Amino acid sequence: MSWIPFKITQPKKQIVPKTVERDFEREYGKLQQLEEQTRRLQKDMKKSADADLAMSKSAVKISLDLLSNPLCEQDQDFLNMVTALDTAMKRMDAFNQEKVNQIQKTVIEPLKKFGSVFPSLNMAVKRREQALQDYRRLQAKVEKYEEKEKTGPVLAKLHQAREELRPVREDFEAKNKQLLDEMPRFYGSRLGYFQPSFESLIRAQVVYYSEMHKIFGDLTQQLDQPGHSDEQREQENEAKLSELRALSIVADD
Amino acid sequence: MEVHYSLSFCLLQERNRPFQNIPLGSIVILKPHKVLIVKNYFQTQWKIYMQEGKPNLLDMGSLMIKPIQRVMKYPLLLCELRNSTPASHPDHRVLGDAFAAVKDINVNINELKRRKDLVLKYKKNDEDESLKDKLSKLNIHSISKKSKRVTNHLKILTRGESQVKDNTFNREEKLFRSLEKTVRHCVKNISFCVQHIQDAMPLALQSVRDLREISHSKDEEDGGCPETPSNASNPCRDFAAPLQRLVLTPLSALLSLFPGPHKLIQKRYDKLLDYNGYLQRSAGDESDLAKKEYEALNAQLVEELQVFNRAARGILRNCLCSFVARLGDLMLLAERAYSTVAPAPRLVSGISEIQNRLLEEVQNLNFVKDNSATFIERKLSFEKKKPMQIPPEMPRQNDTHRCQLLSTYRAEELYQAKRKCNATQELDINLLEGELVAVMEQNDPLGSTSRWLVDTGIVKGYVYSSFLKPYNPAKTQRGDSEANGTDADSFQEVDEQIFYAVHAFQARSDHELSLQEHQRVHILRFCDLSGNKEWWLAEAQGQQGYVPANYLGKMTYA
Repeated sequence: MSWIPFKITQPKKQIVPKTVERDFEREYGKLQQLEEQTRRLQKDMKKSADADLAMSKSAVKISLDLLSNPLCEQDQDFLNMVTALDTAMKRMDAFNQEKVNQIQKTVIEPLKKFGSVFPSLNMAVKRREQALQDYRRLQAKVEKYEEKEKTGPVLAKLHQAREELRPVREDFEAKNKQLLDEMPRFYGSRLGYFQPSFESLIRAQVVYYSEMHKIFGDLTQQLDQPGHSDEQREQENEAKLSELRALSIVADD
Repeated sequence: MEVHYSLSFCLLQERNRPFQNIPLGSIVILKPHKVLIVKNYFQTQWKIYMQEGKPNLLDMGSLMIKPIQRVMKYPLLLCELRNSTPASHPDHRVLGDAFAAVKDINVNINELKRRKDLVLKYKKNDEDESLKDKLSKLNIHSISKKSKRVTNHLKILTRGESQVKDNTFNREEKLFRSLEKTVRHCVKNISFCVQHIQDAMPLALQSVRDLREISHSKDEEDGGCPETPSNASNPCRDFAAPLQRLVLTPLSALLSLFPGPHKLIQKRYDKLLDYNGYLQRSAGDESDLAKKEYEALNAQLVEELQVFNRAARGILRNCLCSFVARLGDLMLLAERAYSTVAPAPRLVSGISEIQNRLLEEVQNLNFVKDNSATFIERKLSFEKKKPMQIPPEMPRQNDTHRCQLLSTYRAEELYQAKRKCNATQELDINLLEGELVAVMEQNDPLGSTSRWLVDTGIVKGYVYSSFLKPYNPAKTQRGDSEANGTDADSFQEVDEQIFYAVHAFQARSDHELSLQEHQRVHILRFCDLSGNKEWWLAEAQGQQGYVPANYLGKMTYA
């Protein structure tokens, strides 16, 4: 705004005690940081939700493509396996969607609402700053008149200046006090506000992952390869691959 | 002799088996997995030689060729034997059978060799050949072959099924192609899925960490245990690498094996076309050759495609199982990671209640109420509409006062109030519309020429000059109605009309008014002619013009 020229031209007069100013800065600084954090978090959560959804979509695609394969018609076993996989993936997608919705409701929405308070805060601080500038200016004027010799017009002007100064000073004091009083309260309220969101987020994730674990555990059992560990499967694969490479029809040099 | 014959006959009963397992022709081509067979062969031979004390050791080439030579000798031997046996001898028939059997063996070996040769010939990768090589291969023979094939192909397309058909092959081929498509899709989809998982999980964890930071105060963090699931990014890392090894690598390797047989399948089709073409005509050497070639290639492909398909299916299945198992493990790890922070369960509805309540409390804080964006515009209008403080009843001017003024002052000093003026500053006076005043001085103590010292007959005080117009007795009657008329457009009853310029403003046209910093101006109208509230009609130092509203700051007076 147009406040910037003020700051350069006018020397800072200590009409506001340093401690007060410092307190104010500190509180406001904390709140600014909080604002930044909430904004960033909102963006991150949205990205996270999108990534989750993309993941489950791609998982469903795996099983869909497998299903549409004519191999399924020929081989009943294969068909069973792929159907089981498909069911599992679809359930994964459903749970994921639900989790994202839950998070949306309990975390992202509250974040937005909390963030909407900040513009008011910034406006209030700006107004206080405005009032402060007014106050400074009028104070300077009063002091200027006070230094001049006490002639009639000068006295009249001095009186008038003092009259102008009074309401402005009171206004500034009021604003300052109000903000100093309420900013810590606002800052403190974040704890109680966000803790339920945090808990809900954790819980949503835990529920989701435990469900997933169960689904995939069941699926592993269904795909009738009981007890095959990964190493065994790996070895089998290697054996089959070398068998394939041994075939004369497979190009190798 | 007889013992010898029956022994060899027994051996020949087993005719095809030993020779099929070790195609003799291809021993010459030393494949790595066949070296073992050859080595064993050599070792046994060497042992035999050592046992028998035969000093004449053969070199590799002659050693290799020995079985083949032997096999080729048998028909000749048996033929001679049969020819020299009288027909009445009981062995004659047996010899005949033996001869036929040995000949069959040789034919089988030949056919097998043909298969391998054909496969080898057509397995060569065409992409290595440059255009020049391809062109050089063109000659009358190849062109005529190709054109015949095209004709036959069209014939089949238009007339339906060809006479030469192999259902087994067709089935296997279909399976082969679908397997290829499946494996390709699998590789692509699985790698996408893994990629997405790797993107999504760390993001989720980061959000949890950030939210935790906001929702917990610093003191708690220092004192509390490290609840942050910081090691949960590991499940993702441990997920990707094994998955690559167990699933993606085998599948990709499998995928790379698919293109090989394609060419052979294509060639087989060509041979089929050739053979089909010859079927129409009489049998001859060419048609025999075509038949043989086709059948050789077909048989080879059928046999090996079956193996291929079976193995490929097995690999695919294994990979899918591994994938699922890995996913399950990942989910378990993730669940554990998040569980370390497990809080007390709370209903969702409970959450929104708590939060709404808290938010209301916050919004009740004064600074929010005062400064909420939706209120700001209303606030300005509120302020304008603030109920006017009723000024203390002042004696109104009446005729006597007017007469007094008229008599005391000269005509040019007399002014009339255009509208109702309210005292805003010290020493100001209130005027009603139409009241007569006499101007005593055209400036005020502070030097501003816009405030004049006037005498109403009752009291003396300051009024803004813009409120006054020269008193013209003749026009008084009409003037009033005029004044009324001009008053029709909205002059809002505002207490605070005095504003000061927060910042200097440069007028860009005649309609605008230049302002200096901190210059006090008197606002006549709070909007411009088109109703735009951004521009206010201001008056300063006798000049009027529009100034931007946001350059002005209010001066409030008690």
